[in-house]
Amino acid sequence: MSATSEALALPLPRARRARRANALLTLARRRALLTSRTPRQIAVPLVGPALLALILAPALKKATGGLHSHIDYTSFVGVGAIGLVIPLSCVFAGLSVLVDRHTGAQRELLAAPIPRYYLVLGNMLVALVLAALQAVVVVGLSALRGGAFHITGAGVAWFLAAALLFTVFMYALAETVASRVTKEEDFVGATPVLAILPFFFAGALFPISAMPGVLAAIAKAMPLTHALALLRYGFIDPSGKGLHDIWGMSNVTVEAWLSLAVVALFAAAMTLISVRVFSRSAVSR
Amino acid sequence: MTSIEVRGLRKTYPGGVEAVKGIDFDVEHGEVFGLLGPNGAGKSTTIGMLTTTVAPTGGSARLGGYDVATQPLQARSVSSVVFQESVVDGALSGRENLELHARLWGVESERARRRIEELTQALGVAELIDRKVDSYSGGQRRRLEIARALVSRPQVLFLDEPTVGLDPRIRHELLDVIAELRARDAVTILVTTHYLDEAQRLADRVAIVHHGEFVALDRPQALLAGLGEQILEFRVEGGVEAALQSLRARGLAGDDAFGLGARVTIPLHGRAAAEALRAIEGERLRASELQVRAPTLDDVYIQLTGTCFGEHA
Repeated sequence: MSATSEALALPLPRARRARRANALLTLARRRALLTSRTPRQIAVPLVGPALLALILAPALKKATGGLHSHIDYTSFVGVGAIGLVIPLSCVFAGLSVLVDRHTGAQRELLAAPIPRYYLVLGNMLVALVLAALQAVVVVGLSALRGGAFHITGAGVAWFLAAALLFTVFMYALAETVASRVTKEEDFVGATPVLAILPFFFAGALFPISAMPGVLAAIAKAMPLTHALALLRYGFIDPSGKGLHDIWGMSNVTVEAWLSLAVVALFAAAMTLISVRVFSRSAVSR
Repeated sequence: MTSIEVRGLRKTYPGGVEAVKGIDFDVEHGEVFGLLGPNGAGKSTTIGMLTTTVAPTGGSARLGGYDVATQPLQARSVSSVVFQESVVDGALSGRENLELHARLWGVESERARRRIEELTQALGVAELIDRKVDSYSGGQRRRLEIARALVSRPQVLFLDEPTVGLDPRIRHELLDVIAELRARDAVTILVTTHYLDEAQRLADRVAIVHHGEFVALDRPQALLAGLGEQILEFRVEGGVEAALQSLRARGLAGDDAFGLGARVTIPLHGRAAAEALRAIEGERLRASELQVRAPTLDDVYIQLTGTCFGEHA
């Protein structure tokens, strides 16, 4: 009896759950191995955000006097830089999917006895870990340059939840674009729109209240704006100034939950879209 | 026991291109079945439908009893594919590639370790298994891919043009390896190829595919037997059809004689070669390059389709 048929002969629900969890971890392991052997995929997305945290934030604080509020500008931009590092990291991860397709490696995975959406989820797991490490590096660099952080248990929870959901959204977006485009050049061409443009609208370097009304309204519709407000609420701004700028309500906890719901909604919708687009692109119809 | 069961399988791509036009065949357990045809004949689309990466537009197919359309996971669990192009992860070692396949196919780790050991020895890649695949030659990669496909002990192994792009020496070595594995593991193999000698050497039965249809399906020997033991082939000036008509009218060629380009082929069916040559020479056909030889599957293909592989490939 073959190993496969033996596995199929085990009590089905338990065996199936175990096999599928194992398959998902195997896909994540493959992506992690490939990523670890391409160090530029880890280092390149970090360069810009690291320079923001190390050089730009302290320099701008010194030149402009900061935000003129209780929030330290170095840490404000340090957290804002996460709004660049996560999208860049996810876009690079999306590029790997395109490479898999062009080198043919994806064909072997599509022939495996696993649901095809696992390929999206396996890659997403690694993108989450990588983005988390990169975010820790950016925050660490900001702290080294004098950024002030007020870290509490609840704050860490808000920070992690926002970072996690925003990474899910960004990776799903990158995966969707990777499934739709045929050439790597087209994907690279989409990078500024996917990863850099939102950074300028979402209040990464300044509060969105500093923008004209129309631009602020656009910013409020973007998941990055909500994610950044939550990240700052978690680590540097317990009063929730960024959340007030979005919602204008009196209860900061309600505002935080609302922003988290917005990011979660974007993450869930984009994940569904990416799974659907990938699954359709995997089968020739 | 039937490992592959295909009924009325059909694929029409958007835009109306009919790649596969309703094919039927069964492959028994342990049999090697060849799909023979030039590029564009529909072989890879057929493999795509059987491996669930191409959605059929009609008909059905079962692998190990599992319907590829309604039970794709089960169908994929009993099969493995060696693709036409190399699809290994070059940045990983050979062992890592094999282990990943084993895990995805649900092979328990100790069993996978033993199987990898056994297969890498059998396929002659044991010494390079811990090297990055990027450093492998084309032939070594192909051997690794065959080892990878067999790690999960599939009931059905698809080999899609397994020797394309390999130099002749490695190609022949690989065919030997496939034949040995087949003898040892009794795995059912569906192999697509446009090399006629490959089909003749490997396959128990061959389906000749032309424009998405089977024009013949039989044992290679049976297909060749239709042309007899010897054929007379020559080049003619002034039109093949006119030459064939003249030869048929004088009883020198039967209905199974055929021509392509400037070349006429006449199955001798036991007739003495010297007698046939004399008759042709007396026909004032301006024939040249006359030769008597044993028929090949190429002749069978030309006779059945009126074209040769080179016209498509």
